[in-house]
Amino acid sequence: MGEKQQLPAIEVEGLYKAYHQLVAVENVSFTTYRGEAFGFLGPNGAGKSTIVKIITGLVAKTQGKVRVLGQPENSLEARRRVGYLPELPTFHRWLKAQEFLEFHGHLYGMRGMALQKRCKEVLAQVGLAGKEKQKLGTFSKGMLQRIGLAQALLNQPDLIILDEPVSGLDPVGQHDMRTILLQLKAEGVSVFLNSHQLADVEAICDRVAIIDKGHILKIGPPKSLFDEPLVFDVHVNAITRELLHKLGAVSLSVREDTDAPCHLLVEVQNEEQAADVAAVVYVCGLRLYTLAPRHRSLEHLFLTTIDMSSYTG
Amino acid sequence: MGLLLITRFTLQEAMRKRIFLAVVLLSLILLLGFALLFNFVVDSSHAPVALGQDLFLLGIGGFMSIPAIWLVYLLSSVLTILLTTNMLSGEIDAGTFTIIVPKPIRRFEIVFGKWLCYVLLLTAYTACLFFAFLIVIYLKTAYWPSDAFSALGVLELVVLVLMGLTTCGSAFVPTLVNGAIILVLFIGAQVAGFINLIAPFVAPDAKAGVQNATTTINLIMPTDALWHGCSFYLTSGAMTLLQAAHTNTPFTSTEPIAAALLIWAGIYALVLPICGAWHFQHRDL
Repeated sequence: MGEKQQLPAIEVEGLYKAYHQLVAVENVSFTTYRGEAFGFLGPNGAGKSTIVKIITGLVAKTQGKVRVLGQPENSLEARRRVGYLPELPTFHRWLKAQEFLEFHGHLYGMRGMALQKRCKEVLAQVGLAGKEKQKLGTFSKGMLQRIGLAQALLNQPDLIILDEPVSGLDPVGQHDMRTILLQLKAEGVSVFLNSHQLADVEAICDRVAIIDKGHILKIGPPKSLFDEPLVFDVHVNAITRELLHKLGAVSLSVREDTDAPCHLLVEVQNEEQAADVAAVVYVCGLRLYTLAPRHRSLEHLFLTTIDMSSYTG
Repeated sequence: MGLLLITRFTLQEAMRKRIFLAVVLLSLILLLGFALLFNFVVDSSHAPVALGQDLFLLGIGGFMSIPAIWLVYLLSSVLTILLTTNMLSGEIDAGTFTIIVPKPIRRFEIVFGKWLCYVLLLTAYTACLFFAFLIVIYLKTAYWPSDAFSALGVLELVVLVLMGLTTCGSAFVPTLVNGAIILVLFIGAQVAGFINLIAPFVAPDAKAGVQNATTTINLIMPTDALWHGCSFYLTSGAMTLLQAAHTNTPFTSTEPIAAALLIWAGIYALVLPICGAWHFQHRDL
């Protein structure tokens, strides 16, 4: 981790938010770092958007501390260095794309030729070059999402906060959005991504927090969040008693895959034990066709975590 | 700086949406209709021998200034309510603030930026229409109220009072609720003024009670009381010229507006937007 990355981008400590009787966020604490892409996952009504709105100053916290780029969340100094794309692209539809960007540029304190140049750059970056004179009212949802991203990039932010950025985008748009976010990350911009698109979060984010019912359930790099054994799919030419016995000795558990003949599901503690599995097959005089770890996606982790939370909650 | 930016943006929005332009156009048509009708009435009337033509025309001018400026009062009030009832609530409902509020701008700058835009727009509209009607009357009758600027000042205060209420309301409640409350109060104040006038004739015993109720309503919504103050400034010169007796009517007053009411209306017009801004500063979006 570089020196810049040691600095916090967003610090949330003991955050609590209640809407009258309804507790939306309860004792949430986390820190994201500069240059880091941080993903926020959770089912609908988990409290994700409330936390994002508190960070962006749209909603007042009931209790707790929030600091953005070292400043309180409502500080104008911090806001000058933050870009935000809200979940719903509800913009002033009577504005033309260029006017929309100029207005938001003015809000950031940008003026003159520098603003004009930046507007052109961001329009090109989000794939809307040539649409300067088109009214937002005539934009598709995907185009609105792109122009929304453009305004969030106008001020060349140190931190960009995105709430469901790919909702409404077609597959090409989703791919473009992912490319832009990866590019921003490569440039050292801190990214805070609130998304249901688990594949995007997995591809972009260095760390992920899973939230449900106003609580953070897990937080860490996607890979480190897996606390269950690794499962290998082992395909051999025949399954013998000797093979099962010997595999049982080098693994946590062995069971036959009922969906596929001559396939075994072998649970091991780590990837290095794959070599032991291969050696056992060889010692038993059998042919090994496949030895592949079953991919444990973030989706799997997410669903398991949410399921466990519902069960224990 | 942010305040002026929002003012400019709101002005751009009002112009682009063409609501204001449509109202201006309709007002011009109304003015033209009034001018034609007024011209016809004056040309067809005959001055009583005892009064003389000039004095007769001045009398007509003084008399007609009341309905003409009452129309300005009504148009300005309705336009103020229509344009500003959704000043904040409309954007809160539409979700457009979610992209503006996280920018480096204070929330009160958003409120007062919008407020300032509509104050400039509506006071300019009121002043233009006020002078346009008076000029039409002057050109035909040579009547010009001696206290025209005082009358205009009171009329502008009506706009500010209504704007105070709409600004505050739109920070607290949804657009429809805000509009309904303000319309009921505005119409209620007119009706209360009318009842206060006829109460001494139809129910002399209830005079004091009606007076108290009217005063309370005037404190809650001072627009009708302000209009009566305005009407005094419009006709006081004419009545002096004609040596005619002032009489109270549902549209006119025999007395200038009380200083206390003027102060109250001024405080009302200033404090309510501040209350709205304070609430908007703290509310969740």
